[in-house]
Amino acid sequence: MRTSTTTTSSGITLSTKSCRIKFARRFLRSLAEIKKQKRSSASSSEEEICKRSKRIKMAAYSSMARAVGPRMNWSRALLFKLRNRVSYPRLVKKKKRVTVRSNKVPRSKSSVHIDRGNKLRKLVPGGKSMDYICLLEETAHYITCLNTQVKVMQAIADNLSK
Amino acid sequence: MNRALPEMLNCMNAPGGLVAGNCTDMTVLDRQRTRMRWQHDQFQQQPQQHQGYFGGNELNGVFNHVPIEASQVQNFQGLIGLGGDLGMGQAVKPDLSSENGWTELGYGSCGFEMNNISRTFSCPPKVAAETESNNAVPPAKISSPAGKESFKKRKADKAQNNKAVAEDDSSDKRMKGCAEEGDSKITEQNSTKNNDRESSADTSKENSKASEVQKPDYIHVRARRGQATDSHSLAERVRREKISERMKYLQDLVPGCNKITGKAGMLDEIINYVQSLQRQVEFLSMKLAAVNPRLDFNIDDLFTKEMFPANMANFPTIGMSSEMTSSAYLQFNHIQQLLQCSGLENGITSPDSALLRRSISTPISIPETFVDTSCFTQVQPPTTWDADIQNLFNVEFHQGRTAQFPSQPFTGSIEASNLKMEM
Repeated sequence: MRTSTTTTSSGITLSTKSCRIKFARRFLRSLAEIKKQKRSSASSSEEEICKRSKRIKMAAYSSMARAVGPRMNWSRALLFKLRNRVSYPRLVKKKKRVTVRSNKVPRSKSSVHIDRGNKLRKLVPGGKSMDYICLLEETAHYITCLNTQVKVMQAIADNLSK
Repeated sequence: MNRALPEMLNCMNAPGGLVAGNCTDMTVLDRQRTRMRWQHDQFQQQPQQHQGYFGGNELNGVFNHVPIEASQVQNFQGLIGLGGDLGMGQAVKPDLSSENGWTELGYGSCGFEMNNISRTFSCPPKVAAETESNNAVPPAKISSPAGKESFKKRKADKAQNNKAVAEDDSSDKRMKGCAEEGDSKITEQNSTKNNDRESSADTSKENSKASEVQKPDYIHVRARRGQATDSHSLAERVRREKISERMKYLQDLVPGCNKITGKAGMLDEIINYVQSLQRQVEFLSMKLAAVNPRLDFNIDDLFTKEMFPANMANFPTIGMSSEMTSSAYLQFNHIQQLLQCSGLENGITSPDSALLRRSISTPISIPETFVDTSCFTQVQPPTTWDADIQNLFNVEFHQGRTAQFPSQPFTGSIEASNLKMEM
């Protein structure tokens, strides 16, 4: 993100700068906690790594949602889901479901939008209950935040693997 | 719609001769009044005597129109007025009605229709009662049998009626012509009514337009030429505009989306991008999970230090040496350089974000320091490095705890305070 602050059309200012700092801080802290918890069983078996990666991913998502705060719908939904621990199988399963469905249906032009909207709805957390305009807005914010998240995680991973 | 009213008024006013009073009574639009006056003038040109018959005849015709057309309160008020007029009119001509039952029955049917109208318009029973009392014949009797009777009688006694009326008024010969004239007049009025209706429809359209313009204070919609102006299509247009606006915004966010035209393709691209980002997060978390176990010890160590600030009390005593201060500074620079090398720098490309770089670099610099400690603990005296890490760590995570920093006397703390100021 080149711009430090971007304004969505609804007037929500999202400062990627502060968002990034907050996210990095939270993520590192939760990372360290994960490490601490996993310290006793520091085996590097496949299963362990898989589990740990899941935990890390969850930590990343939750710290991002916390960094954004409750003003966006998607972050609220994400936090809710993470709190109830539904989110892990969700991300994997939904992709499968989406691909199956999109292959199945031959569509007219009007249903293309609806179908894609539904597709997007499944990708953006909490998108099921949004209307289309809101969904697009939230998607925009979600994309910026995911971008930030990916960059920060990339930086951390690079630094760690050096 | 309202045009029916002045006609009725005229019909009623002509026999009663109560134009002025009704004018003042009615709460009608001015143009209706003017129209009424004009019609009244026209009526006054015709001989007064005909208008009894004419009024009765036209009244029915007009009243038949009324329940279809009249739908407003004004009409209703007009009808109330009519009820009064009806009574007056009947009171004026008892002679006619006594001689031939036709006019009376005609008025009775009028009264019946009045009741119907009043019922259809759910007017308060007062009016009905009023008309009943004015008609002096209970409307229940009038209603169906009387009406039928009246029609039968009308057919049977048409000639008689005419004769009777002729007996009453000497100028009866004009009356037939006048009746015909009245019919033609009615049709004419109907046609004018239609015209008026059209114009009223136009005015209502204008009104609706005006209300549409007035209604949305927050959304200013302007329909271009040839676009639909009803509220649904306006709302739909607003929605589409909003969607396209957000799509444009998303287009800026998603790389490679600028080339694609068409919303479907853009949506596909957006979906793909979100999916790829989510996959990237997954992949990175895998990577982190794979990388991390090596650093378990260091991180835990540092975090225990961080968690228990009592351990920090040890550090000022250790880190008093001059070489340590220099090393701290060096370490700081080192971290900066590393961070400049690191991918995080890519994220912050804006030139004015030097402050930001530091503030961001510090959180990321912690694993950096972890790496450094893990690499260099054998090479260099570990205490100094730890102190460095401690400094940075404090800068990073415990901004609230800077009160503890002055206890650490070396330059590293100054650096830390500087950093803190920048943050």
